[in-house]
Amino acid sequence: MKTMIKIEGLNKTYHLKSGNVEAVKDVNLSIEEGEIYGIIGYSGAGKSSLIRCINLLEVPDSGSITVGDQKLTWTEGGTMKVIKSSALNKARRGIGMIFQHFNLLDRSTVFDNIAYPLKHSGLTKSEIAQRVKELLELVDLTDKIDVYPSQLSGGQKQRVAIARALANNPKVLLSDEATSALDPDATESILALLKRLNKKLGITIVLITHEMAVIKAICHKVAVMENGYVVEEGEVYDIFANPQKEITKKFIGSASALNKINSLIHKDSPLVRIKDGELLLKLVFEKNAVGDAVISQISRNYNVNLNIVLASVEVLKGAQLGSMITVISGDDKNIKDALDYLRSCNIKVEVLRHD
Amino acid sequence: MTELLQKLIPNVIAYKDRFFEACSSTVEMFFISGIFSFVLGITIGVLLTITKKDGIKENRIIYFILDAFINFFRAIPFLILLIFLIPFTRAMVGTAIGVTGAIIPLIFGTVPFFSRQVETALANVSPGKIEAARSMGSGTLGIIFRVYLHEAVPELVRVTTITAISLVGLTTMAGAVGAGGLGSFAINYGQGLNHQDIVLVCVIVLLVFVCILQGIGSFLAKKSTNRSIFRKKY
Repeated sequence: MKTMIKIEGLNKTYHLKSGNVEAVKDVNLSIEEGEIYGIIGYSGAGKSSLIRCINLLEVPDSGSITVGDQKLTWTEGGTMKVIKSSALNKARRGIGMIFQHFNLLDRSTVFDNIAYPLKHSGLTKSEIAQRVKELLELVDLTDKIDVYPSQLSGGQKQRVAIARALANNPKVLLSDEATSALDPDATESILALLKRLNKKLGITIVLITHEMAVIKAICHKVAVMENGYVVEEGEVYDIFANPQKEITKKFIGSASALNKINSLIHKDSPLVRIKDGELLLKLVFEKNAVGDAVISQISRNYNVNLNIVLASVEVLKGAQLGSMITVISGDDKNIKDALDYLRSCNIKVEVLRHD
Repeated sequence: MTELLQKLIPNVIAYKDRFFEACSSTVEMFFISGIFSFVLGITIGVLLTITKKDGIKENRIIYFILDAFINFFRAIPFLILLIFLIPFTRAMVGTAIGVTGAIIPLIFGTVPFFSRQVETALANVSPGKIEAARSMGSGTLGIIFRVYLHEAVPELVRVTTITAISLVGLTTMAGAVGAGGLGSFAINYGQGLNHQDIVLVCVIVLLVFVCILQGIGSFLAKKSTNRSIFRKKY
């Protein structure tokens, strides 16, 4: 796989009257061709500044950015060099971008909005008309060609924005909170469209969001940002299965029912109260976990009882990730053997509570 | 008909050649200074917008100069400005009286006001649209013409209407210092010779003119909101 976007040592500070804001701090990212790469963080984490650096809508203070074969910024003799503006404008035509508030021209029809970036493409009038029709077919909006944006729903506006971003056959699509202003139905259909475009066109997509559900739905890889730093990065499955940082756990919790357990423990709910000799367990079944009916097996073979408090199964990129909160009771020795057996099946066992 | 008019507005009929001449002078002053002011005002308004802080071509020096120019000329009441500019006007066009002499003070009286209004109209174009245009590789000129001016049309029509109507007022004021037109006709023949019907007719003519301007302006502003005035078909 070829690297499509390479970011090294990126820093961006805003100098405001109220003081300096370090928005992006020493960020290194490598995004492969054809990947859907998600960047998640709370507002103010720096993700917006980071994505804007990729097409130089924001010029970083230091660091190098390479998109495809084109260097946008690089370091030479200790100082950062920036691509010339005419070359930048050309490079930008190969990097599409969509926005939270769509940013369509209100006084232009859908046709004119999509034709906007084709002005310098060298296409003739009839070729442009042809291209716009193709793009509208791609986003499933052919009947709206003569309509003005004010007559479209949010989801339809975002489809027009996507068609416009794709007009010049870009290699990269940047998505700045593209679904954050949409209702759940429209969010789902836009995400499905992005996924389809990624498959069909092989386009590399970088998206920023504050919703783990978006990452879960379409991303291959994810980076978690906090205070300007990328604090955790990797395959979406691995991050979900093994979150390291507190903030990552919080984001995952927001996308999973299992998160309730912490508040249940915190509130000392009767559901998670345990008696002498009992343990409160968290079992995580990753994709390499073996054995089918382990729960009934251990209760039969080791004579222990399991009371399931919470359970959930996520399907990420076709692979399952199951987890379960359960209270186990029985003889001490038997419990220990049962847990060893579970571990031997590649199930992660975590004791949340014991007495 | 003629008899009726003779009865109602005898003095206007008596001076009807002067009256028509005054009307055409006013219209002439309005259009010549209007066209210059429109072009200059849009240009300065655009320059203010793009050179201001966080504009697409931020330039403190140009912004400061234009800003100071506008504030200076807006601070001077028009009647004072007329007198103040006499030497400059004479140097530029050879005379400070008549329609020719009125054009330059009218431009100086209108452009600063109009530039500010254009700046405000362009400030209402959402920064997101500018950002989107930049992300699509548009250069400075592309963003000015295809985004700023294009998206601000309804607002620009509104501020042009307001400015045009205030320009009508300025042309009559210029009449007071020898520019000709309806202003001087009303003062010299209406007030000076005490013919009240002349003043009345001047008021009516100006009223009709202003109403027409406002009507056209409102119609175009409404027509151009969220769509183009002339629809294209593909």
